[in-house]
Amino acid sequence: MVVLMRYFLTLAAACGLLLAQSDAERKPDRVISISAERFTFNPSKVTLKQGELVEFVLTSDDTDHGFRIPSAGIEVAIPPQGRGEVRVRFIAKEKGKFMFECSRPCGAGHNLMRGTIEVK
Amino acid sequence: MQAAPVPGTPVKRLSRIILALALSLSIGQAQNPTELEKRLADLERKMKMLDPSFLPAPELAIIQRLDALEARLDNALSARSSVVAPAAPLPPPPPSANLASTQGGPGLQPVSVSGDFQKAVDSETRLPVAGYMDFHVNKESGDSFRPDFHRFVLLFGHSFSDRIKFWSELELEHSLVEGGEESGEVALEQAYLDFLITPKFNLRAGMLLTPVGIINERHEPPAFNGVERPFVESIIIPTTWRELGFGFTGDLGKGFRYRTYLTSALDASRFNAEFGIAEGKSSGFDSSMRNPAAVARLEYAGVRRLTLGTSLYTGLAGYNTPGINPRVTIVNFDGRYSYRRLDLRGLFANSWVSKAGALNQRLRQQTGVNPNVASQMRGYYVEPAFHLLPRRFRHDVIAFTRYERYNTQQAMPVGYLPLPQFNRSSWVTGLTYKPVPDVALKFDYVFNRNQSSVVNALNGLNLGVGWWF
Repeated sequence: MVVLMRYFLTLAAACGLLLAQSDAERKPDRVISISAERFTFNPSKVTLKQGELVEFVLTSDDTDHGFRIPSAGIEVAIPPQGRGEVRVRFIAKEKGKFMFECSRPCGAGHNLMRGTIEVK
Repeated sequence: MQAAPVPGTPVKRLSRIILALALSLSIGQAQNPTELEKRLADLERKMKMLDPSFLPAPELAIIQRLDALEARLDNALSARSSVVAPAAPLPPPPPSANLASTQGGPGLQPVSVSGDFQKAVDSETRLPVAGYMDFHVNKESGDSFRPDFHRFVLLFGHSFSDRIKFWSELELEHSLVEGGEESGEVALEQAYLDFLITPKFNLRAGMLLTPVGIINERHEPPAFNGVERPFVESIIIPTTWRELGFGFTGDLGKGFRYRTYLTSALDASRFNAEFGIAEGKSSGFDSSMRNPAAVARLEYAGVRRLTLGTSLYTGLAGYNTPGINPRVTIVNFDGRYSYRRLDLRGLFANSWVSKAGALNQRLRQQTGVNPNVASQMRGYYVEPAFHLLPRRFRHDVIAFTRYERYNTQQAMPVGYLPLPQFNRSSWVTGLTYKPVPDVALKFDYVFNRNQSSVVNALNGLNLGVGWWF
């Protein structure tokens, strides 16, 4: 009986894990490359559809930058040029405009290194 | 709106367990031992897809296969949690930096972060300030090598909120400051507040870098080739040109952005033949806003690795020359572009000084010396650079050549002759080596020429190291 219970639990956990793959593992609806360079993101305005699973591929063309979406609680470091990329996935749940910004001081124009995500 | 739980959180895990229990009940009711074994094999196959290192062992007893599968699931769950919920990526960690501890925003639900961010954070020590430094060794023809710790700059920023931010730059030049003697300087290069209102319209006030040219706002040593800044952006356009003022900034969309300020004026009493208007910058000391200058810059950065810019500056500069109030106007166009291993940048600048003849007369009366200020000054440069190593290499070696033409006596007021030694050109050629993107070891040789048959222009050899953090 114990063996059978253990069996069922393991089996069920495996099923649960596979189903829970969903958002993190499934292919995103859109992949958008964003490059960071003192003192701009390119593109600095991104338009999405409500409900999309989106993946941002973030790279830098110079020093390391930060990428922060305050309203989503996302903050990551973008490595310097030639040191790789960061992939950030999120779901555009609601319509609206959401600001993102550089969160790593990068020079005189740092405060204005911002962009907008518009969900329609 | 209530944000959905984030994968990797206890809530999410709990939901998985509940789901799993529900599934187990339905599976348990429906299947006999043969079907269960078949289902177990199927799960092992899926586990293998998830984790290629997992090796199913159908020859073992069911209990051993269950043990192995259970262990792998535990590992997969813990690994998954660590990927989805990274440690706070940036110091200092804000309350919302960790995806594992956030509930997401009202409209964007974070799902996962992956890539090279952890390596970037782990490989270096972060300080709570930014800064850059510039150490040079210069040698002019016939002179000895002269070391100079040219710039030691610390930058401090602070966010009062998401919409009110402070930025500053404090500089020590030439490593020593002594009262009353000719030595270095401590200077406040920037100190301003940004009031971020909308992407298209924001307010900025304080000590501002005048947005003219490329280098004045982007002067971190790894950001340009050559030990010294370009002559055109030091003589035709002052460097580091900062003034007190306020203005507006914004991103107009489609890659266009602007900055427009009203600032303190240039001081025409410090204009001269050799450096044109460059020494007229007030740098925020004893400056005047009686007749504020207006400056505007428009940039296009809508294509990756391409930036085009144009600036217009105009203002009266006579607050220290009573009775003579010349207007200074500067127009510049500039661009930067990178294509594969090739970088290209160039700049053109032209400035006009009205009432230059009267200004020369007044300054001669005040000082006894004719400054021979021109009514027009012009300069341009072109700089191709080539990355000798492929971009995928971790080290970067850049060979560059810059041709500059700069004439601070381009057009003279009636009654004044141009001084040909100030009609100059330079070839600057050298190497920049970056072991990491923020550290630049530089070498260049400068061939200087002028139009004078009497005064020789001296060539120069420069070595330097500059870094940003």
